[in-house]
Amino acid sequence: MAIGRNPIVVEHIRKTRMTELLSKGNRLSGRGLLEYRPIKIETGLIEKASGSAKVSIGNSQVIAGVKVEMGTPFPDTPNQGLLVVNTEVLPISSRYAEPGPPSEDAIELARVVDRGIRESKMIDLQKLCLIPGKKVLAVFIDVSVLDIDGNLFDTISYACTAALATAKIVQYEVSGEEIKASEEKIPLPVKTIPISITMARIHDALIVDPDLEEEAVMDARLTLATDSDGNICAGQKGCPGGFTVEQIMQAKDIAIEKGKENRELLKKMTGIA
Amino acid sequence: MPGIIRKYVVPGELIVDGKYRLGANVYASQDKVYSTRVGLAEISRGEVRVIPLSGSYIPRVDDFVIGKIKDYSAFAWEVDIASCFYAYLPAQAVFGRDYSPAQDSMLDRFKIGDMVAAKIAAFDRTRDPLLSVSGPGLGLINRGEIVKIMPTKVPRLIGKKGSMIKTVEAGTSCRLSIGQNGIIVVNGPPDGIAKAVNAIRLIEEEAHTADLTQKVEALLTGSGGA
Amino acid sequence: MTTLINEEGLRVDGRRIDQLRPFKLEVGVLRNADGSAYIEMGKNKIVAAVYGPKEVHPKHQTLPDKCLLRCRYHMSPFSTDTRKNPAPSRREIEISKILREALEPALILGDYPRTAIDVYIEVLQSDGGSRCASLTAAALALADAGINMRDLVVACAAGKIEGKIVLDLNDAEDKEGEADVPVAIMPNLNQVTLLQLDGTVTREEFKTAFELALQGCKTLYDAQRATLITKYFGKAEPPQQEAQESQESQEE
Repeated sequence: MAIGRNPIVVEHIRKTRMTELLSKGNRLSGRGLLEYRPIKIETGLIEKASGSAKVSIGNSQVIAGVKVEMGTPFPDTPNQGLLVVNTEVLPISSRYAEPGPPSEDAIELARVVDRGIRESKMIDLQKLCLIPGKKVLAVFIDVSVLDIDGNLFDTISYACTAALATAKIVQYEVSGEEIKASEEKIPLPVKTIPISITMARIHDALIVDPDLEEEAVMDARLTLATDSDGNICAGQKGCPGGFTVEQIMQAKDIAIEKGKENRELLKKMTGIA
Repeated sequence: MPGIIRKYVVPGELIVDGKYRLGANVYASQDKVYSTRVGLAEISRGEVRVIPLSGSYIPRVDDFVIGKIKDYSAFAWEVDIASCFYAYLPAQAVFGRDYSPAQDSMLDRFKIGDMVAAKIAAFDRTRDPLLSVSGPGLGLINRGEIVKIMPTKVPRLIGKKGSMIKTVEAGTSCRLSIGQNGIIVVNGPPDGIAKAVNAIRLIEEEAHTADLTQKVEALLTGSGGA
Repeated sequence: MTTLINEEGLRVDGRRIDQLRPFKLEVGVLRNADGSAYIEMGKNKIVAAVYGPKEVHPKHQTLPDKCLLRCRYHMSPFSTDTRKNPAPSRREIEISKILREALEPALILGDYPRTAIDVYIEVLQSDGGSRCASLTAAALALADAGINMRDLVVACAAGKIEGKIVLDLNDAEDKEGEADVPVAIMPNLNQVTLLQLDGTVTREEFKTAFELALQGCKTLYDAQRATLITKYFGKAEPPQQEAQESQESQEE
């Protein structure tokens, strides 16, 4: 009902303590400003999907599944496969998530995650082309949000990345106009591992991985995704507040440094090289 | 107490056969008494009841509760008391009978996000709970650490005649305000607060165990302070 | 023709005809939900969450004398062999309705007038019998939420494959078999709260299938009970002797 207003109201006495602590470089949860909550990644639990990953950051929990189908390419990119990222904030995830069409927040979320994966060129779409202009592979990556405790941007993004990076798809052999599925299963053509880092500004403090309470009081939010080479490949600033130029520059460095850390963690937890 | 029979039960489970007085969270059908909740069933002195281990807070008149101001209109504040219903604190209950929305500013008293200690003034099947903040110890709470526990564990946290509160307060030099709705505010020295929060968590976790007071004392006397 | 039952009387997944698939039950798996449960039954992986009792939105749906029960059964797009469109299908809407009607008799809705209880079921991976597994999980989630209930609800299907009555059909058996009979019961009150039949059976076969499904329900009910008791008490029996401090000082 209360559309456009964050339904989580943080108690004033907690908010006061939170800002007091932040000014001294501490957080209510005891975390450091640039410290993530525990990240858990479990892959391959949906046998019916080509790839899947359940990721939790703190109490936020999502599950992503990859499905591959045959499709027709877009006329302007006849030799590229398709990539579709879709996110459903399920009503099981929060008392404020209602069934029905996605809210504007849910759509922003899905699009930002999509951008991080697409713009990083994680998947070599040209390699998904079977017959130029006619037949390509369409990679669907669907995310179901199970439990919300802040920073869904990164939780969903890591789930997509982990599911794609560990997916095994049917290999197709093309001779002329004929497409034959082989017995072989091969990994998706993964070129890089994009990692997003979401930061929040609360007064003068810049923190990473805001939890639900921190999101409810944050002035502004910034998500930056980097690729394996440390290039920044996607970004989104959110919320009504702003950042100073210095904060943006600081955020860029945090995104690259933290991104490196979380990329290693993701690689280790999914067992990819 | 002699003659008490205890049993762990789930909803629909037969507790006992025969004619008994029905206490909380049970129902009878053809002289059989069944539980409606997951909990500890007790049969004593001809009465059967179940102490539930989960469930939300159902308001009762005169309960002391701690709530959060969630919204307001010209005539009342809407208060989240962690229940199935939002409670209402009428402006007249704060400003007096001659309250006028034109003259009195609601925000001067309570803002969204403020915590209030209140009593349930009225509640029944036909209307939402009404709150009152007039009385000693009621009104705005402007400091302290907020802890939320399952409301079904509140009686255990209070203890027999307040014995458990006293144990925790004495061991931590803190003061505890315990709402029947499971919201608790702890005030005191910082290390005391940390200890008290740990003690509250322990009580919530082990509410159904027998030697709880000893466990809490052990925690408070420092051996397991962290 | 595929053989769903081999010469030794074993099924495609190696089960005997009266055997359930391996299953796993958990409660309290989600943090935000008031109650939650997870079930694996064969390849089924299903989460159930309960929110409520809570205030009713939209307000005009409010019932003056009892609680409004709503139920949503939904499949994640990756849960099926070919990707499922995330928008609810007619099948999902029908199942949502019969699940709600199967749960409703177990709930004492009169205890919560003017409120709503939402039961959300998400199928993360589907196999045969997902509606039955959903019900078994949903009942656990409702008990976990601490809502007053007359009984739990537990469900299991039986069916007919290659002329034989078997328990708990998997995907292949469901697709290629002759009949499927999902049954849900309130085990203590001996009431059937869900019954469907899909396929043709004789009078005798119907009786056998129905009784076999009830047996499956009994086994699952024991597991439901054990899951709740372990979750809340950690062990099977309460202490009888110690003079327990009264848990009640505040009440009465």
